[in-house]
Amino acid sequence: MEHDGGGDVVTPGELLGNSLSILAGRGAYADGRSVRASVTGHRRLVPSPPGSSDQRSTVEVVGHKAHGAVPQPGSFVIARVTKVMARMASADIMCVDSKAVKEKFTGMIRQQDVRATEIDKVDMYQSYRPGDIVRALVLSLGDARAYYLSTAKNELGVVSAQSIAGGTLVPISWTEMQCELTGQIEQRKVAKVE
Amino acid sequence: MLTRLTVDAQVPGDAVLDLTEMTNQTIKLGAGLRQDCDTIQVTGAGRLRLSKPNKYWLESSQKRYVPSVEDTVLGVVVDTKPDNFLVDIKGPNLAFLPVLAFEGGTRRNIPKFEIGTLIYARVVKANSIMNPELSCVDATGKAAEFGQLKDGYMFDTSTGLSRMLLSSPTCPVLEALGKKLSFEIAVGLNGRVWVNAPSPKSIGETVLMWMLWHY
Repeated sequence: MEHDGGGDVVTPGELLGNSLSILAGRGAYADGRSVRASVTGHRRLVPSPPGSSDQRSTVEVVGHKAHGAVPQPGSFVIARVTKVMARMASADIMCVDSKAVKEKFTGMIRQQDVRATEIDKVDMYQSYRPGDIVRALVLSLGDARAYYLSTAKNELGVVSAQSIAGGTLVPISWTEMQCELTGQIEQRKVAKVE
Repeated sequence: MLTRLTVDAQVPGDAVLDLTEMTNQTIKLGAGLRQDCDTIQVTGAGRLRLSKPNKYWLESSQKRYVPSVEDTVLGVVVDTKPDNFLVDIKGPNLAFLPVLAFEGGTRRNIPKFEIGTLIYARVVKANSIMNPELSCVDATGKAAEFGQLKDGYMFDTSTGLSRMLLSSPTCPVLEALGKKLSFEIAVGLNGRVWVNAPSPKSIGETVLMWMLWHY
């Protein structure tokens, strides 16, 4: 289990210290005189910043998934496509702004959000396949099931994919990728990676 | 081990073409073939066919159907959604038949198909990851025999038998049956055949003669 810089494991309600000598940081709360943990995680002590009036150090409880990265509108995410349908594709969000997520988030790329031009002529089969890794932008929190994602920019789209023969696909244009084992060309919405 | 392009039956794993001997050519691979670095290998059991100039495919016969574009199939309606009918065409997925994909189809005259209705349609979109899409109009927008098939009797066959029935010149068994009986027949490339005749007795005779010939 990753430690994330923390010490021993604490559970909600556990007494972390006295509020006279310690401040409650994230994952902890002050209950009268005592400071207790509010989530399960590892206890970590952060010394007070130099030059502040309050000399008390802050206690934090880290490692809980509520403090992991959460997609927000406008953030760039890396997602793996799980299902491709006629009008949309579903994807599992894996990283938000280069930080890995701690719990599962589902994203949805609609047909009109795949690219910026000719959005009514988009063929989902020629844009994504299940298993592709895509870079996308979060449009909105979406509905209860999934975030709405968009790849309608040059630097967004398929970053890494496998061909039907099992080899890695190498991008050759913004719509085509070539298998390195067989040389067959497959269609994708390719991200222009600098 | 390479085998030459012959009329022998191929089995999965046979390498049938050596690409190092065929440089500077473009070949098209159809169903049942895949490229393995420098050879073309077979992924099913059947016969290797070549259509000049450069299209190769594997012709095999199974009870299961793999949807491909422009095939005419017989489907059974299993569910209705606001935009599509869900149709079983004996493939890995259910097919979608849009409610507007009929001649003169508008939101006001959507056909009312019950569960179990038999439909003659053609495949418009088919690939390995999505549900296939059907249509009951041909490319010009006319109905052209597509749509619901009423009365009659439907039975399952293999895909190879369906292809044989649809081959040109006319299949000998259909000609022979046509000389003795009058009936109408619809063959789906997905391994379904529908027969209809003026009286139930005629339908029975048709099916009986069919089975005597087939088995």
